[in-house]
Amino acid sequence: MFKKTSIAAVIAATTSMALVLGGCAAPGADKTAAPAKPDYGKMSPQALAEHLVFESGSYDLQQPTQEGTTGRHRLVQDETMKICSEAAMKGGQIDAKTSERINKLAAATVKYPEGGIKLGDWKKGRDLAWSGFGFRTAHNPDDHGKGAPGANCYNCHQLATDRTGGSLGPSLTGYGKLRGNSPEMLKYTYDVIYNPHVYFACANMPRLGANGVLTQQQIADVMAYLFDPASPVNK
Amino acid sequence: MIKKALCALPIVLAMTAGAVASANQAPEDILDALAAKTKSPYLTQSPQNRMMMPDNPSYDVAEDGGKLFKQKRGPKNASLEQCDFGKGPGVLKGAYVELPRYFADAGKVMDLESRLVHCMKTLQGFTSDDPQIKRRHGSDTDIMKLMTYVAIQSNGMAWNPSMKHPQEKAMRDAGEVLFYRRSGSMDFNCATCHTNDAGARIRASVLPTIKSKEEWTKAVSWPAHRVGHEHTRSSQHRVLECLWQMRYPNIKPDSDVNIALISYWTDVARGQPAILPDLKR
Repeated sequence: MFKKTSIAAVIAATTSMALVLGGCAAPGADKTAAPAKPDYGKMSPQALAEHLVFESGSYDLQQPTQEGTTGRHRLVQDETMKICSEAAMKGGQIDAKTSERINKLAAATVKYPEGGIKLGDWKKGRDLAWSGFGFRTAHNPDDHGKGAPGANCYNCHQLATDRTGGSLGPSLTGYGKLRGNSPEMLKYTYDVIYNPHVYFACANMPRLGANGVLTQQQIADVMAYLFDPASPVNK
Repeated sequence: MIKKALCALPIVLAMTAGAVASANQAPEDILDALAAKTKSPYLTQSPQNRMMMPDNPSYDVAEDGGKLFKQKRGPKNASLEQCDFGKGPGVLKGAYVELPRYFADAGKVMDLESRLVHCMKTLQGFTSDDPQIKRRHGSDTDIMKLMTYVAIQSNGMAWNPSMKHPQEKAMRDAGEVLFYRRSGSMDFNCATCHTNDAGARIRASVLPTIKSKEEWTKAVSWPAHRVGHEHTRSSQHRVLECLWQMRYPNIKPDSDVNIALISYWTDVARGQPAILPDLKR
């Protein structure tokens, strides 16, 4: 439990501090105290925001993540996140040069399966598309030992019409039926799932492959759900 | 019932400064007016929830909170009646819609929840480890009861968070940056779900958009009874749950990221009537 760990940590820290102070008892030992809080009113919004994320004690930066890192890693931004955050605050518009930069960064992340892009099992893909499980941490961490992370597709997309999908992203109903399954279309779709910024700079869609949310096999299964003529998406 | 007492309250409120036209309306009437004005899919998405609003379980939570508020408790055996929520000790009417604000006695910007905790510590002598402060996020917690009691005394009043102190503006502006700041396994920011055109959905749920002030006032009107949770929930609980979905690490109660986000989202709703208590999915 986070709370118990946290209390234990405080007790441990307090104890060790007492030992240090008791051992040294030198004037100025209070330099070990936390640095003084900066004057928020004199900081730029961006500087203050970064301070709040990493230095204000707001987040549990030590919290273990499912991928074996810590909470801090979840909060560090890469170049794409930084550019897209700034753009979003200005209404989402980015210039052509920035767009190209994002596309290029994204293209460099895509790793293709050995033996080429193949469709997997649409039934597995259907379960993945529906599932929103996985990588959630905060107060109630998902236990990946109890199930594989999902692809979250239905959160934002309508796919097969037997279930209600969201509308943050475009409808993907009839995906393969409408687009065919040419090698170019398969590659395009693989890229979009792996890292949508290859084509759509600062897309809202997660970089499911590049961020390690889905494996190549899971992407193949989701793609089967999109392309297989037997999939409910194409019925 | 506190609800009945509050029905008489608006008459007084209407004659005092700061009241808006909707201060004499029940929460459901405020919602109806916003829905009629906008035809918003978000505001009208659940007729069932709308029907339940006059019987909102949050009224009972607030009633419990009122008793706790006046009760002498804690090591200092004091009530919270001298707590200053920004408009002077003991002034609760309209205090909540002006939060978060800077408090000189604490040297920082505080929202309702953190201010309440501050008073429980300073006036009553509770500490962070006492269950009265430590237990959060449920209708059965002291904090939720007390917050609801204080908050609903601002029902119908216009959101008007103070921006006089440099730290208030700084927290609001940092909150805006945080609202658009992408990170986590899914690259999400708050804007992923809340800057779309009205009517956008996560699965079947219509999302509130920051582009519509009328939608936004309902979105930020906490405490609210969450039907799916069967609990009254707070602003900080909303932050926590969004961050969980966003794949962010755990956030600590009353922390500055909470305050900054709440400062920004309250400022966006400025001028719109607060719906208190609200009832949400």
